[in-house]
Amino acid sequence: MSIHNFSKVVIVAKDEWRYWLRSKLAMTVLAIGLLLTLSSVVVTAITMHELSHARHELQSNAEQSFVDQPDRHPHRMVHYGHYAFRTPSPLSTLDPGIDAYTGNSIFLEGHRQNSAMFADQRQGTALTKLGSLTPAFIVQTLAPLLLILIGYSSISRERESQTLSYLLAQGTSGTTLIVGKGLALLSVVGLIIAPLAVSALFTMSAGESLLAVTSFVVGYALYLTVWVLLILLASSVFSKNSGSFTALAFVWILLCIVMPRVASTSASTAVPSTGKIETDFAVKAELRKLGDGHNTNDPAFKQFKQSLLEKYNVNSIDELPVNFRGLVASESEAKQTDVLNQFAEQRMQAELKQTQVSRYFGWVSPMVAIRSLSMIVVGTSIETHHRFLRETEQLRFDFVQGLNKVHIEKLNYQDDMNRNANAAATQKARVSADNWQILQAFNFTVDSANIRAQRSVPAFLQLLLWIAVLVGGIKFVGKRLS
Amino acid sequence: MTTHQPVNHTSNNDSTIAEQSKNQNNDNKRANYKAIIEVDSLSFSIKNNAILKNLNFTVGSGEIYALLGGNGAGKSTTLKTLLGFNKPTQGSVRVAGKEVSKALDFVRGKTAYLPESATLYPHLTARENVEYFLSLADINKTDEQINAAFKRVALQEGAWERPMQTYSKGMRQKTAIALAILREAPIFLLDEPTSGLDPVAIDEFNQLVRELALSGATILMVTHDVYGACQVANRIGLLRAGELVGEFDAPENGRIDTEQVHAAFAQRGA
Repeated sequence: MSIHNFSKVVIVAKDEWRYWLRSKLAMTVLAIGLLLTLSSVVVTAITMHELSHARHELQSNAEQSFVDQPDRHPHRMVHYGHYAFRTPSPLSTLDPGIDAYTGNSIFLEGHRQNSAMFADQRQGTALTKLGSLTPAFIVQTLAPLLLILIGYSSISRERESQTLSYLLAQGTSGTTLIVGKGLALLSVVGLIIAPLAVSALFTMSAGESLLAVTSFVVGYALYLTVWVLLILLASSVFSKNSGSFTALAFVWILLCIVMPRVASTSASTAVPSTGKIETDFAVKAELRKLGDGHNTNDPAFKQFKQSLLEKYNVNSIDELPVNFRGLVASESEAKQTDVLNQFAEQRMQAELKQTQVSRYFGWVSPMVAIRSLSMIVVGTSIETHHRFLRETEQLRFDFVQGLNKVHIEKLNYQDDMNRNANAAATQKARVSADNWQILQAFNFTVDSANIRAQRSVPAFLQLLLWIAVLVGGIKFVGKRLS
Repeated sequence: MTTHQPVNHTSNNDSTIAEQSKNQNNDNKRANYKAIIEVDSLSFSIKNNAILKNLNFTVGSGEIYALLGGNGAGKSTTLKTLLGFNKPTQGSVRVAGKEVSKALDFVRGKTAYLPESATLYPHLTARENVEYFLSLADINKTDEQINAAFKRVALQEGAWERPMQTYSKGMRQKTAIALAILREAPIFLLDEPTSGLDPVAIDEFNQLVRELALSGATILMVTHDVYGACQVANRIGLLRAGELVGEFDAPENGRIDTEQVHAAFAQRGA
């Protein structure tokens, strides 16, 4: 497009703004849009800041509470357990993603893998379960609707009032008109995205990278550009305002409401996953085969006992230089963890496959594409959640085995066996609280910006394809319009 | 009383009028006009449905040509074809010597088109409307020049800065004409320009059109108003079912006879 034509495009765009400024509907819609975005950004930022602060404090308290425990039997500390908290990523102030549903903390204890808990959506009231008014929700779902309300009549209005033929007859090309109207709508996109972009830039002060911030803002800009193009296309194709509005309302319902649900349903149908109760039963059945780690006489440990006697060249477990109960607990924990990890990996792989299937729907719904892109870039995607689960599991296994090591090495077997004989024996079966220092500090950080950017490439491609197809359609319609 | 004679250009099945149409004087008079709009064997169809059939006529500089016909006769389609909105199925349409389909920007740049309902932008004032369209055409005009154009079309001064949604149809037409004057367009295509106007507004409009023609503008108007066409046109073409079935020329310093045109219009059921 030449500079000469671009100046005409700017004239058309300025006139569109003049029309909006004199239209109560357009001004109301613009004001509502800006107010919603701004308020959601502020409210979510405050909430997430408080959450981040609270989780840091909770994590610190949990660690302090663990190491502050008095002298105890080490296995009691295994069951005393420990909490791990996921600190939200800086950008999650704008898109809490699946964090709101998956929970943000895990209770870690021996012989068990607990689920994450304290999900905002689970502990909320019935109303909050419908979803929060987050900046991501506003821009993903409501902003397209606001753009439709402002722009559905951009071209059809000209046709309906016969100013279109008048304009064309004066020598203004259809393409100039469409691009001019598009430029005006894109400036509205800029207004909607501005609070989001400013907030995203602020997250850099909390350690977020420029790459992630740029990817986030560009992703949303592309998404809303798709909607601008859809609006221009519908407004150019339909001769009546009512036709354009009806078509766009239908498209919005289809792309923003129906398709994301179709994607989820298709994903769960294509990759069926076992329910929690069935899985729990299956896990229990497998664990039962491994024996009871609390019972040294469990037949499951007969071979283990024999191998130890041979290894240390002794005749009975009393003669072992280490605590046999501790060794059984450690052996049992290792085997149980293998089984638990096996089931956990199966579940995570199924979830990942379901997510992939769901993400394919980004080719047919820009809403699905931006939702995936946003969660990935922000660091609130399923991949990040799985990493949190794996890292907390590693933390759990390490501290449980650390305590088992203390059990093996620092508690005499005879004292251990006699621990319930009387108060003095119980006291004797305790180890120093200094041993609780084996607990490692836990600090979950989001994936690097490069990894997140790489993961988001397919979603970017989906949005770019939408734009390419729509630009082609608009070029065709623009020529026909002239 | 001046005698008005229809001239040739009729269809073969209308021999009565065709015989009357041979008038050497009028042919000579028409030769004085330099042809600006040339419609040559123009046919236009939509899905094998012929809308325009072998149309032939020219409109010269300083001439007012009224294409007269009933509903569905193909009047507006002819205008749209002249503006390049329709591609001829057969024949050619030239404006200022250029084939319309090959020089769309040139033709539209030279043409002032007034649709049947020249609404312009209701949220803008007359001045803002004019300034907007002029800026799109890369034409710079001072406030004084715009005021002068408004005065020329007799648009009340108090209305210039009012949103056009408060305008009557006549005022909107005047604004559109003022815009055309400011664009210095030499060709005017008017679609039912007096439809819905009160008699005073019609007289004012006709006077304006005559003045434009006197200043050398080429004016083609389509209308179903026999009386209105006879009042203002130098020449009338009678269109029926997409076919030009007769033409009437005004005599020197006179007007086309309304009764004769009306009789032909009624006779043909145009």
